[in-house]
Amino acid sequence: MSLERSDELAAPGGTVGSTAAPGVPGGAPGRRSGRPALWRRLAADRFAFAGAVVVALYVVLALLAPLITRALGVDPYTYDLDALGPSGAPAGAFGGISAEHWFGVEPLTGRDLFAIVLMGSRTSLLVGLGATAVSVLVGTLLGLAAGYFGGWADWVVARSIDVLIGLPALIFMIAVGAVAPAWFPRTLLLVLVIGLFGWSSIARVVRGQTLALRNAGFVRASRALGASHAHVLGRQILPNLAATIVVFTTIAVPGAIGSEAALSFLGVGVPPPTPSWGRSIGNAVTWFSVDPMYLVFPGVALFGITLAFNALGDGLRDALDPRTAALGPGGRGWARRRQRRAERDARRQAGHDRKEVAA
Amino acid sequence: MSTTATSRRRRLAAVVAPVAAAALLLTGCNANERANDAAASASPTAVERGGTLRILTSATSVNWDPAMSQSLAITSLGLVERRLTAWKTDAEGNTTVVPDLATDTGTPSEDGKTWTFTLKDGLAFEDGTPITSADVKYSVERSFAPELSGGLSYHKSLLEGAEDYTGPYQGQELDSIETPDDKTIVFHLNSAYGDWPWIVSMPAFSAVPQGKDDPATYSTQPVATGPYRVAETVEGTSITLERNPEWDADTDEARAAGPDSIVFELGQDATVAAQRLIADSGEDQNAFGANFVPAAQLAQVQGGPAADRLVTSGPGALAYLAINTQAAGLDDVDVRKAISLAVDRNAYRVASGGEIAGDFASTLITPGIPGREEYETLFDDVEPSGDPEQAQQLLAGAGWDGRELRFVVKDDEASLAQAQAIQQGLQRAGLKVAIEPQADEVYTQTVTQGDGSGYDLTLGSWQPDFPSANGNIQPLFASSQIGGGGYNLARYSNPEVDDLIAQATAETDPEKAGTIWSQADRTIAADAPVVPLIYTKNSFLHGSKVVNFRIPDFPAYPNYLQTSLEQ
Repeated sequence: MSLERSDELAAPGGTVGSTAAPGVPGGAPGRRSGRPALWRRLAADRFAFAGAVVVALYVVLALLAPLITRALGVDPYTYDLDALGPSGAPAGAFGGISAEHWFGVEPLTGRDLFAIVLMGSRTSLLVGLGATAVSVLVGTLLGLAAGYFGGWADWVVARSIDVLIGLPALIFMIAVGAVAPAWFPRTLLLVLVIGLFGWSSIARVVRGQTLALRNAGFVRASRALGASHAHVLGRQILPNLAATIVVFTTIAVPGAIGSEAALSFLGVGVPPPTPSWGRSIGNAVTWFSVDPMYLVFPGVALFGITLAFNALGDGLRDALDPRTAALGPGGRGWARRRQRRAERDARRQAGHDRKEVAA
Repeated sequence: MSTTATSRRRRLAAVVAPVAAAALLLTGCNANERANDAAASASPTAVERGGTLRILTSATSVNWDPAMSQSLAITSLGLVERRLTAWKTDAEGNTTVVPDLATDTGTPSEDGKTWTFTLKDGLAFEDGTPITSADVKYSVERSFAPELSGGLSYHKSLLEGAEDYTGPYQGQELDSIETPDDKTIVFHLNSAYGDWPWIVSMPAFSAVPQGKDDPATYSTQPVATGPYRVAETVEGTSITLERNPEWDADTDEARAAGPDSIVFELGQDATVAAQRLIADSGEDQNAFGANFVPAAQLAQVQGGPAADRLVTSGPGALAYLAINTQAAGLDDVDVRKAISLAVDRNAYRVASGGEIAGDFASTLITPGIPGREEYETLFDDVEPSGDPEQAQQLLAGAGWDGRELRFVVKDDEASLAQAQAIQQGLQRAGLKVAIEPQADEVYTQTVTQGDGSGYDLTLGSWQPDFPSANGNIQPLFASSQIGGGGYNLARYSNPEVDDLIAQATAETDPEKAGTIWSQADRTIAADAPVVPLIYTKNSFLHGSKVVNFRIPDFPAYPNYLQTSLEQ
């Protein structure tokens, strides 16, 4: 008992640090009042703010893509063979950039590259967000169950995580993509495959934090007053994990988008002619020496969205971390992370010292 | 180069000539003189000997077993294994059939049903054992063994009494092949067959010593009869050939055997190989690519410094869209005609690499094949980009139910580009088309095996295995070639056509046979089971020190046997 109480006293700093998770605020009280501070901190982090703006821009463009292409009179499916030279390469400089084709045209087809890149954002975001939703859902549920109930549930989940981390996921995704029946909707398949291979990291973190929260005073009080498991999990523990889950979701999205691009690059993504950045990049590689712009536009689009999501995720993590909060806003995420790491090491060292003294 | 790779590549291949010779072909220079023309000019440049020739190929293995290979007489297997006859190509692009192991291209009997060959003196395997007619007979017999499948099978239906023969491994012999002595071999055929000298140039008519035949390992360790023997095989990486000391150049008019050794670099990505050949540095100067140059590199090469090392064939192999005539709704000829009219053949050609990829096709018999006759086709008054309006009217008249067509293609970049070009063309006429990319083996299974219920449309490309209309028509449109590994991808069955094929095959007079083949061509075209797209031209790249790298008018492949290195 005395040990548990001392654990309780050490929370949030000690336990959270030991699970190697990004910071999570401690007890439930005080969190809601912290939310305006979160936005303030996020807005002050210029890199993260820019990331948030870019992400918002991509989402808006993806949603409006059909309207934009229709307004411009282009679409990613119509061939324009007049825009090509006799060898099938785009006629004209820079991949055939013109007033009609803003990004030039695709070699061998003359399809409008602007429309392809724009409509490709729908594929990337749909699969990226969908797969992330699947992994977050699965990861959170399993992590919660493992951390809260312990015992065999914990053993099964922990071993599954170990297996999943050890698995060469990309190879399995390619294999599943290759053997899946043709009638199965391809986009849904990608969402499921990428999502179901990607829940291990979030499950691990959620499990760790649930383990810590399980013995927190307010949870034990709730249990003592006769609350059901469902109530405790849903009303006491989950709200405390919300920040962690948000951060992890943001950081997982670019990974899922990258996986979709990789699978399409390898030819097991969405079937042509559905636009996809990954497939465009895969095709463009062979054309690079003739038509570099074919690689540049989808490449920059993919680079932009992953960078933006990463910047936003980093910023969110920093903004939600109570220990960096003490440092106040300002500076870039990576600088603050380094500072935080140094701080944690120092704390750990101090802990060692204390233990040694105690011994 | 492995059985499947070679056959596939050849099927994609075209009847070819170096760029300069293409014009000659178009103006009527007949590529396929089949006469045994002794006057055919000898190799124009003296053969330079020495060096190591490198062949870059995307294939991951070469199957050297003659019973399992569809390799052409002038490519890989021809370097190691001699057959009864061989193909000789000259600088003008002519290909003739010449004696190889045999002293002549065969002597037919009065009725054309019996062919006799005599072996040359002094022929020996790489171990010094003399080659006898029994070794040739054994080689043909083992091609019937079910465990050695995948080879060319033209001879299997021609040899008398071969229907139930299952190879020599259970001790049975094929009685229609006689070997009265060590030098003489006699073939008894079902019917007269004028192209038999071409048939015996196929891999199965090599010589295999029965004592050294292990069906499990012969594909990697063949007993050489040609100028080279297999010295070293690094699985999936490379195969090295070295000179076979027992080969005598005086007995061989088809092979120049210039390089001292030949290295196959396996598993090379076609794009990377093309880039290496364009860069032309170091060892790559002594290399050539066995794969077609991909469209992107074609665009890169044209007008660049590597342009003079690009060798492009004349128009040849027929690239076509096959319509599964057994699929629901597609059994209606009007629907098939509508599909034919809706296809955007121009987009297809651009997707294949533009003008250099080929000429628009009309007849099913390919240019340069004896018996080919132009006739009025569906496409005469139609732009290459198709006529979607007329297609729509036809569809409405036929009561097409508007279901989605399953368009099964191989999942490589080139096929997908071509498939999308077809898809967008058909969509203009309101047809719904879903592309289903499949891995190579799965694809072959879907389209050539079973009942064909897995596809509505697919892409094919076909060049005859020997210069005869028989090779154009029979493999693609005879009802016997539906499923079971056959290439009747349209699953087209018409008793009238089957009858014409039987008549033409049995006809010994080439003139009359040509007339019947042409009639079969028209009859099939009227049923529109396939949409002829283009007669493909193939392009290959070679390094700056490679000489005599030529593509004859037939077949679409460079002659490996004549290629040598500048010293």
